Amino acid sequence: MARQKWKEWLIRALRVYTLLVTLITVLMIILGNLLDRDRVFGYDAFFSPLIYALIGTVATMVTRSDKELSVRALIIRKVISLLLIEGAIVLIALNADTIPTEKSWVVPGLVLGVFAVFVLTHVILYFADRKEAEKLNADLSRYQERQMNGS
Amino acid sequence: MKLETRKIPESEPEMVEIRYHWMTEEIREIISFVKSRQGQLAAVRDGKRFEVPVVDLFYAESVDDRLFLYTAADSYEIRMKLYELEDLLKNKSFFRVSKGMIVNLMKITSVRPALNGRFSAILKNGEEIIISRKYVPALKQILKGGES
Repeated sequence: MARQKWKEWLIRALRVYTLLVTLITVLMIILGNLLDRDRVFGYDAFFSPLIYALIGTVATMVTRSDKELSVRALIIRKVISLLLIEGAIVLIALNADTIPTEKSWVVPGLVLGVFAVFVLTHVILYFADRKEAEKLNADLSRYQERQMNGS
Repeated sequence: MKLETRKIPESEPEMVEIRYHWMTEEIREIISFVKSRQGQLAAVRDGKRFEVPVVDLFYAESVDDRLFLYTAADSYEIRMKLYELEDLLKNKSFFRVSKGMIVNLMKITSVRPALNGRFSAILKNGEEIIISRKYVPALKQILKGGES
């Protein structure tokens, strides 16, 4: 049971990570085109979405708990998780030579972009959970039928 | 208390007879256990005793060390621990959905996602209960025909 729980959590973390890599890449394309169009990067730039996604996935650990959290506690932890991600990304941006934080719209653009990725991730995960619920409903229906037929 | 068992021919009906001097809690517990094995649970509502058929039970919830049974419209209190009831009903489609609750899987209409990987179950009487994340893997397993 504990092994199964960890497996489920790991699958969810990997799903979040993959999703974040995709969304962060899209965000970098949009923000880069809007705010710093002429900049040219080396191949190292491909690491950025992977590193940022890792930060985002690690920050979701805040919402992990062996105890069942109430909706209020969960929302508070989600907000803390978002603040941690925002803080980490802004800190990296301020210390990175490749991100032109001296331009007035870059930091607010990053903060808004991170928020958009955070919200989008949750929306996409909700739809994934909905699909899982549909499968559970199909299994439940078959289970109830089996029990009614005594098999 | 003296315990006596006797093998009888198949032509005779099986029965449990309890001989007592005084109706104590211990005797009540034994009666309650026997009834639960017959598909009924001895419970209390408004100071009156009721026999609640297990098939009518929607869910059981433990609140402040007291255990309550819920049917479509009524609730009863039962003198038992949740784990004892869970053990009694484990082959009767009951499943642990959170630390303090077991639910009758036959009374669930549908399941839908809630927050953070949790699911909520809509019961046939319209009530909604939360299925904790940690019990979802076991639920999947039991619905597919395995044991929890």
